[in-house]
Amino acid sequence: MTTYHERAAREIATEHPSRTVTPIMRKLVDDSRAMLRRSPADAKTRAAAARADAIGRLEELHAQVRANFERRGIGYHRAETPGDAVRIIRGLLGDAKRVAKSKSMVGEEVGLTHALRDAGIDLLETDIGEYIVDIEGRGPSHITAPAVHLNRTRIRELLARGGADIPDDDPVRLSRYVRDVVGAFFEDCDAGITGANAVVARSGRLMVIENEGNVSLGASHPKLHIVITGLEKVVADEAGALAILEVLAPSATAQPLTSFSHFLADPAPGQQRHVVFVDNGRSAIAAGKYHDVLRCIRCGACMNACPVYRAAGGLSYGAPYMGPIGAVIAPLLWKDGRYADLPLASSLCGRCTEVCPVGIPLHRMLLDLRADAVAAGQTGSRVERLAWQAWSLTFEGAMRARAASALGRIGLNGGGRFVRAQGTANDPRVLPRAGAPERDAANLVAEPPRQPAAVIAPEEIEPADLAELFRMRAAALGVTLLDAYEAREGDRVVHATAAIAATGSVLLLGEAAARRPLLGAQRVVVHLDPATIVRYPSGLAEYLGDVDALILTGASRTADIEKQIVRGIHGSEELAVVLPRVAP
Amino acid sequence: MARVALFDPCYLGALRPTDAFHAKRVLEALGDEVTLIDGRCCGQPAYNSGFRGEAKRVSLSLLREARHHDVVVTASGSCTSMVTHFVPGLFEGTKREGAARIAGRFREFTAYVAGHPNLDRLALMLEGTVVYHDSCHMRNELGGTDTVLGLLAKVELLEVRRLAHEAECCGFGGAFTVKLPEVAAVMMTAKLDDIAASGAKVVVSADFSCLAHLESGARGTGQRMETWTVAELLARALG
Repeated sequence: MTTYHERAAREIATEHPSRTVTPIMRKLVDDSRAMLRRSPADAKTRAAAARADAIGRLEELHAQVRANFERRGIGYHRAETPGDAVRIIRGLLGDAKRVAKSKSMVGEEVGLTHALRDAGIDLLETDIGEYIVDIEGRGPSHITAPAVHLNRTRIRELLARGGADIPDDDPVRLSRYVRDVVGAFFEDCDAGITGANAVVARSGRLMVIENEGNVSLGASHPKLHIVITGLEKVVADEAGALAILEVLAPSATAQPLTSFSHFLADPAPGQQRHVVFVDNGRSAIAAGKYHDVLRCIRCGACMNACPVYRAAGGLSYGAPYMGPIGAVIAPLLWKDGRYADLPLASSLCGRCTEVCPVGIPLHRMLLDLRADAVAAGQTGSRVERLAWQAWSLTFEGAMRARAASALGRIGLNGGGRFVRAQGTANDPRVLPRAGAPERDAANLVAEPPRQPAAVIAPEEIEPADLAELFRMRAAALGVTLLDAYEAREGDRVVHATAAIAATGSVLLLGEAAARRPLLGAQRVVVHLDPATIVRYPSGLAEYLGDVDALILTGASRTADIEKQIVRGIHGSEELAVVLPRVAP
Repeated sequence: MARVALFDPCYLGALRPTDAFHAKRVLEALGDEVTLIDGRCCGQPAYNSGFRGEAKRVSLSLLREARHHDVVVTASGSCTSMVTHFVPGLFEGTKREGAARIAGRFREFTAYVAGHPNLDRLALMLEGTVVYHDSCHMRNELGGTDTVLGLLAKVELLEVRRLAHEAECCGFGGAFTVKLPEVAAVMMTAKLDDIAASGAKVVVSADFSCLAHLESGARGTGQRMETWTVAELLARALG
């Protein structure tokens, strides 16, 4: 096993991850901040409270989940170890040979893909980013953007290695190539495996979010849908799940919501649905001093903002989870010390804690984990230990410390103790002349001030009328707004139960939410009653009912290649909403 | 007139011994009577490396020295954050309460000066251009960014520029720089690029540790740049 230092030094020297990752992440962090400002002021507080509540009573909520699953006919399974998880899923798959898997970080954690392939199963990673990194063979470098370390040229080379003949490296063409491969696989496979972002205890529904439509296809597999998720992913009620939704996509990808937010309920007739909850040490974490880390909703905001992640990339961590959250959770999940040096992969700048939407004190935890690792003898060589002992004895007394400081001064600065730039006069009041700042340089777009500006940009003035706000936000997502419906061949026409103005989303319930007809349509047309528009996602709680539900936010899309948005992955490029204008 | 102690942190004493003198000059100009605490360390280097026993031993020595004073002005955001946020947690029970009581007397230099009742008596003037480097401890642990900028704004004729990616760490982080030098260098290079793009030839920060790190990098690349603490800038502006 190599150390983080060895891996990071090698990545930096050979792959230069910062060149690709830093510009993307700088923009993403700014955009996320702007997107979160559109959420209700208490969104983070409510999301954090919903997660903290769940961690405080995991077993109680699991009892509710189990009862509701029974009512719905969903299988409830619990895996103590990664090995158990793999065994349970192999058993559930039975004689299934071709399996379509969508993104799951817990899947990475238990090594699901490799284990199932070793067992002779033809498994396809159906998320575009995962499909690409699967060919590369080094694993995802980010929890929501697995291929963010690869530029389009590299991706084209990798796809060519997989047999693709693509004339150029246009992200649209590259994304659609993978879509077609995945789409064909879904035509003929035996089961779908997906993850889950939350499991609602009160109703026994599974909240899963995605952009591409591959989860829609996997979850609606006619025979078998298996969900793998972490034990901690339960949440008390729909209000809690919606609170998570309000911060998850803005923090992860600077979207108001992802294209699809599923609330999966009863399996379809003839379909089996099973959920495997992986413990793998989570119960122990919940009972210990790091319990707050289980609040994590896997948005990846901490790694987006982390300068160490940007400098050395996600693969340097050598663990299924990367960035600050990875550096905290990997040593807690694997107690054998293999990831004990990851907490050192931080300058403790605190950006992770600042951006975390559920209030996890990540950089404080990194500090505590460093002490734990030293106490357990997992880090800190004998030489380092002796050095710190000597240091502490020196700095315990002022005289010895002064002497050490003087020696250090000579050692550190040598002859040129004060390097002063040439041209500075001896007069302390004369400053070297400044040049003009490079205002137009691409990397010099000043960050927005920390306090929201008093003057809002004109396009950011929210119309008071909810229907107008809905129109504005939906149009920004590329949704077609119609005053009246004119039939077209290939339309799938459904009625929305409600809509969200701030995100431009529509809520479909029951039959209207049936995934395959929506994805198979040339155009999806949604009729919307303006009286049912709420301002924020949290306003949907009263409309969600107890059945299968789907929140649609723009057409299916991906940004897995250089974060460039490509619309129309699985499913139509066109989403139209019929919203009659009401005379004032 | 207040009687204050000025804590000259270990690394500052080693790397830029003149800085305590600058801070002392500013405090005296405000009318304070200043006692120097030097040759002490808050324990942060060992603490950040996970060696808490050693950090405790060293910080105890600082607390013992500090207990004789009502106010301990500290010319480093990083050390202030260590003492006020982390040192009490190294002790148990009543000792923790005692440690917290003493730690509560530590004031970061710029915050102390900005809140000083005699601040407006100083005629601060310095003609020229500097760029402000916001240290992570000032920004994220102490929330003192606006205070520093407000203080710099009081210096007449001084143009204070802001860095393009002000919230990004410069890559210092104490032991981090020693343990992961390649990673620290990537971060430092990005910061030096932003400093160069600002056009200013003087970088000002409330934390000298960042400045020492950046200065060593600038020396390596031949970038022309001076580094001043806020204390040094204010002392120069006193005239």
